[in-house]
Amino acid sequence: MNIENTKAQMKKGVLEFCILSVLSSGDQYPSEIIEKLKDAKLIVVEGTLYPLLMRLKNDGLLSYRWEESLSGPPRKYYKLTPVGKQYLKELKTSWNELVEAVNKTIEKK
Amino acid sequence: MNRTITMNLNGIIFHIEEDAYDKLNKYLSTIKGYFKDSEGRDEIMSDIEARIAEMLSEKVSSTKQAVLLTDVESVIGIMGKPEDFADDSERKGSSEKSESSSEKNRASYPNSKRRRVFRDTDDKILGGVCAGVANYFDFDPLWLRAAFAISFFVFGSGFLLYIILWIIIPSAKTTAEKLEMRGEKVDVNNIGKAVNEEFEDFKKKMKDFGHEVNSKENKEKLKTSAQKATEFIGDVFHNMIHVFGKIVAFFLLFIGIVLMIALLATIFGSGTISVFNTSTSTIHYSLYEFCSTVLPGSLPIILVVIALVLFIGIPLSAMIYFGIRHLFGIKQKNKIVKYFFNSLWLIGLCMMIYIGIKIGNDFSEEATVREKIEITQPSTNLLSLDLKALPDDDIDATYYHHRKHKIDLGDWAVILKDENSFRLGYPSMSIQPSETDSFQLIAVKNSNGRNKKEATSYANNIDYTITQKDSVITFNNYFDIKSNDKLRAQDLKLILRVPVGKTIFLSKRMEKIIYNIENVSNTLDGDMVNRRWKMTKQGLECVDCDGLEIKHKHKTGAY
Repeated sequence: MNIENTKAQMKKGVLEFCILSVLSSGDQYPSEIIEKLKDAKLIVVEGTLYPLLMRLKNDGLLSYRWEESLSGPPRKYYKLTPVGKQYLKELKTSWNELVEAVNKTIEKK
Repeated sequence: MNRTITMNLNGIIFHIEEDAYDKLNKYLSTIKGYFKDSEGRDEIMSDIEARIAEMLSEKVSSTKQAVLLTDVESVIGIMGKPEDFADDSERKGSSEKSESSSEKNRASYPNSKRRRVFRDTDDKILGGVCAGVANYFDFDPLWLRAAFAISFFVFGSGFLLYIILWIIIPSAKTTAEKLEMRGEKVDVNNIGKAVNEEFEDFKKKMKDFGHEVNSKENKEKLKTSAQKATEFIGDVFHNMIHVFGKIVAFFLLFIGIVLMIALLATIFGSGTISVFNTSTSTIHYSLYEFCSTVLPGSLPIILVVIALVLFIGIPLSAMIYFGIRHLFGIKQKNKIVKYFFNSLWLIGLCMMIYIGIKIGNDFSEEATVREKIEITQPSTNLLSLDLKALPDDDIDATYYHHRKHKIDLGDWAVILKDENSFRLGYPSMSIQPSETDSFQLIAVKNSNGRNKKEATSYANNIDYTITQKDSVITFNNYFDIKSNDKLRAQDLKLILRVPVGKTIFLSKRMEKIIYNIENVSNTLDGDMVNRRWKMTKQGLECVDCDGLEIKHKHKTGAY
């Protein structure tokens, strides 16, 4: 039993959902995603993001395209695939259910 | 001035200082190692590199062109340690491969779940030491608390131990530490399990190693596996040393505690310094009695006590400290405490030196006082010399009572006789020819002191009595000094002057005090007793040594 581990697992579960949500508002490249997640205090270290993005891409939820940048090398812009959009929708529903259920449990105490 | 390296990261050229480059390179290869088994490693790596490049390019400008170590460190801080994010992908990965690798991760950190000792500040009475230790060994802290409470009264030894534990055991601050505090029980099974895990890991590594050798991997990879293998052999050795270290630590702790109790007992209790008199008996002497007799009057005893506590107590505390630290695997270091105790020890050392010099100074001058002891001339030509029966025999009640206050070092003995005087033993006696026709007994009193005057006064204070009955003189085993006189190497020599033509008889007991008595036949002191000796012009001559003489002469010849 390791509480840090539990905390991390809890965050990790919602992290995917959050990435997808962030991307639902438009295509973004990793630094922008990181910025938003950091603001929300969902991630502490950036390194966490890359493996996740990779997995989401491999699972077909995300795709990316290269875009030239003015200030440096080309950037990788991630976007949701149709499957990803569907996935996000389902996650949103189950998230709301979960929040409700959890809150109920906590308040009952 | 530092050398810089030109580096291409994600298509951007950087001038990077050598140490910064090493750090970055190491960081990237560690990450690479973590993603070894994940699919799309190269892609992840290029993403990470791109991000790092982006951050580094923000750190350089036209005025600061080189990337410094601090830049790299701050970037690594933002990206996080490999283990922080590698776990994520590996554990969540659905493939079998990543599952095995996560297990490997666990195996290479066998200590992560092992129990560690912390002070339990949630369940504390003083510092949470008892609760913490009880947690570690899985028992009710009540018992330990009771034991400590009792030991507080045993010369405060428990108190000191408690303070030491308080200092060295860290408190469980984070939740993780609190869990670690109650983590997997540490016992032989677990140690075995950990060793086993390490061994499995080692086997696996070897297998991987073989695998990689077989596959046509490039040299560089081979090198890293070889490094890993050697690292692992190093780990095994490390483990062995670790176990050995624990045993040493235990003994260190045990001996430290025993000696500490002895020290505290000597100082604060009625404990005594034991002097091994013979192989079978010991004589006990309290520190305070000893100090009061030896210390110069200007030095308070408390100074000696403080010096002793610092000079001996601190190394003992250090023994206990390191013992506990090693035994419980406490890694936290406290530099301030270390320096504090180091300087205290140095202060103790200085005090010891100061006391030594002070005492030494009191021995700087020597004085000798000669005094004639009145004796009545024997009616015959024979004077018998005898020594008072041994203290063990002449049990007068007072003496027996004070018997414990005796230090006996070879020929030298100190006895606390009563309130007013000390007894020192033994005097030594020599025999010389007398210039007159009567026996004379002279006492040569000798003492040291801070100055001539003091030394003379100490010498004068030496009191020695003999008893005489007709022609028998009985000598005392001890001479007395005043109790408020310090011990300053007081010494008493007796010289008996024997007129030519007169005879003396040495009793068996006289062996104790006669010293190097010259005689015609060169007989040794020990053989001179129980015989009559006549003073001739040549010296003492044995009167009743017939039959023995040849033997003695022979003996002398042999020398």
